[in-house]
Amino acid sequence: MSQKADVKRFEELFAPHMDAAYNLARWLTGNESSAHDVVQESALRAFRFLHRFAGGNARAWLLAIVRNQSYTWLKASAGNRWIAIGDEMPEDDLALGHTQTPEINAIRTEEAALLQQALTALPPAFREIIVLKELEDMSYKDIAIVTDVPLGTVMSRLARARSMLRTELVKLYRHE
Amino acid sequence: MNDMNCNICHELLHGYLDNELDTATAMRVAEHLMRCTDCKRRYEEMKVLMVGVKEHAPYYEAPASLARNIFSTLQSQTTPADSQWGKIRSASQSWLAPTFSAAALAASLLLYVATPSGEDVWVDEAVSDHVRSLMVEHLNDVASSDKHTVKPWFAGKLDFSPPVYDLSAQGYPLLGGRLDYLQHQTTAALSYGRNKHIINLFVLPTIEADHAPQSLSKRGYNIVSWRQNHMRFVAVSDLNKSELEIFSQLVQKGM
Repeated sequence: MSQKADVKRFEELFAPHMDAAYNLARWLTGNESSAHDVVQESALRAFRFLHRFAGGNARAWLLAIVRNQSYTWLKASAGNRWIAIGDEMPEDDLALGHTQTPEINAIRTEEAALLQQALTALPPAFREIIVLKELEDMSYKDIAIVTDVPLGTVMSRLARARSMLRTELVKLYRHE
Repeated sequence: MNDMNCNICHELLHGYLDNELDTATAMRVAEHLMRCTDCKRRYEEMKVLMVGVKEHAPYYEAPASLARNIFSTLQSQTTPADSQWGKIRSASQSWLAPTFSAAALAASLLLYVATPSGEDVWVDEAVSDHVRSLMVEHLNDVASSDKHTVKPWFAGKLDFSPPVYDLSAQGYPLLGGRLDYLQHQTTAALSYGRNKHIINLFVLPTIEADHAPQSLSKRGYNIVSWRQNHMRFVAVSDLNKSELEIFSQLVQKGM
């Protein structure tokens, strides 16, 4: 395939997913200019490895690259310090966040700033799964592709992420 | 036999909420939720939380400059000596406003480079127009949910009168209209909403005979096109196929 045809194919496949790419990078890196750099770098990588894209979901394929680049950026920005991505945390304490009570009804889940603060407080592995599910409306199957985990892990991690988000919101509410 | 315990349910209720369980498991969860007030409360909480995030957490859209940078970098990296390429580029640039996104440029290139045949040309270009309308944030010239505002707006701008319906009762609210182009013809582009999805309905006159709706999918978008009363209709959206088909039927029936 000529390069010209490659560029055309690339644009057809990925131009529609620039918002999704930027949104994920912005949530993972936490700031605009890093998100910009990460997406730009990801797009160039996607172009370079275009021949490996074997069809299927172009958005999931691109977001998997964006996710990797975001983590590369996170690790670099933390210097040599170890950074907790969160996916090594045990998946078995689902009770977390449910020892406290029905206060969630009092929490104003319609407040964007509060939600943003609570989501940002989650480790990246849990933050990203909420972003992919609720904001990108992705299926478990596509989330498994993006986050590189077995399909069976998606639901348990999402359950955990939502419980953690609930806990954060309760915490923020108490501190208000 | 319903042997579900609460610990298992605490996880499965998420799959239940997201519609990701097989029917048998979903039934078991539903039964458990009917009997267990604790799990039921948890389920309701998670639903509130999920809806809150979906509707109110910030969604960061890519700045227009980002796509521009990416595509211009790619173009400069590839075949600058290719005269055909250069010619098309400069021709495109001369009539595209600089604020147009790279996708618009890409879409215009597509027309020159690969001219598909038959019905395809309409569909291809309609998809590009749809993508462009969303990327450059130029969805509507006249933003209104009132058909009595939108329809007259087209008068004097078009030599035909596109049918405009208010389908909000059916769950497809009218968002507005704008002028667009398909195959160098001025086209009415009506936008309708469906939950968080946007449908672009392109309408333009045709001399061809009526034709029943055809469904297809391209570049991840669903398309339904048909011809009716000497007008060509092309509906494009990232909405699922069946809901887009329902929308098309509503328009055909003039609901």
